[in-house]
Amino acid sequence: MAQHEVEIRIGKDGQVKVHVKGAKGKACLEYAQWLTQVIGQVKDRQLTSEYYEPEAKSRINLHQDLTDK
Amino acid sequence: MSTVLILTPVIIGSWPAITAAVAGAAAALGFVTKQAVEGMVSQNQRVEAKQEVEVELQQSEVVATQMKAGQEIVLSKGNVEIRVRRDERGRCVVCAAGKGLTKVELKQIAEQFAQRVTQCFVYDKVMRELKAKNFNMVNEEVMADQSIRIHVRRFVE
Repeated sequence: MAQHEVEIRIGKDGQVKVHVKGAKGKACLEYAQWLTQVIGQVKDRQLTSEYYEPEAKSRINLHQDLTDK
Repeated sequence: MSTVLILTPVIIGSWPAITAAVAGAAAALGFVTKQAVEGMVSQNQRVEAKQEVEVELQQSEVVATQMKAGQEIVLSKGNVEIRVRRDERGRCVVCAAGKGLTKVELKQIAEQFAQRVTQCFVYDKVMRELKAKNFNMVNEEVMADQSIRIHVRRFVE
């Protein structure tokens, strides 16, 4: 069972910094897309080494959860 | 680490959603709700202010379906009065007025209030979405710089 963590920091000026941890590959991008839809427009994005690691099987379930609303 | 995103919020909400964010901002900044006004207030009913400054919430759109024409929220703190309303283009507008303050000072107050409304709006929306996606709250705190830090977790098979 994989653990995905999201840290969201909402500045007093309304700017938002989101840090997705534990999600690899496209699962990571799915989080990013979802949070962008919820909050607004991407001003900056940094993909870190974990993004490029092999994707876990969990992605399909994650995708279903995030798109099924 | 996986991804770090910096996002500029887009404020699209109904009048009740904006009202909730305004109430949050007012509480945080020490403003008290004077009244929710229905219909435009005539000039002589306003605070007899020598200065008045208006700022717009960046990238905002107030959905007017649950809103009467000219409806606005009036808040006060000392000599300062803040009015929040939807303008003709549907944008959310914050107007600050007060005696004994310069336009620069009033603009700072209006911008600070608008930013706090944005913060409250984003917080409410993010918390609703996180709950809907069954995230577990790990930690939530207000930092020294007045930013809100939300840390959530979920387990996936």
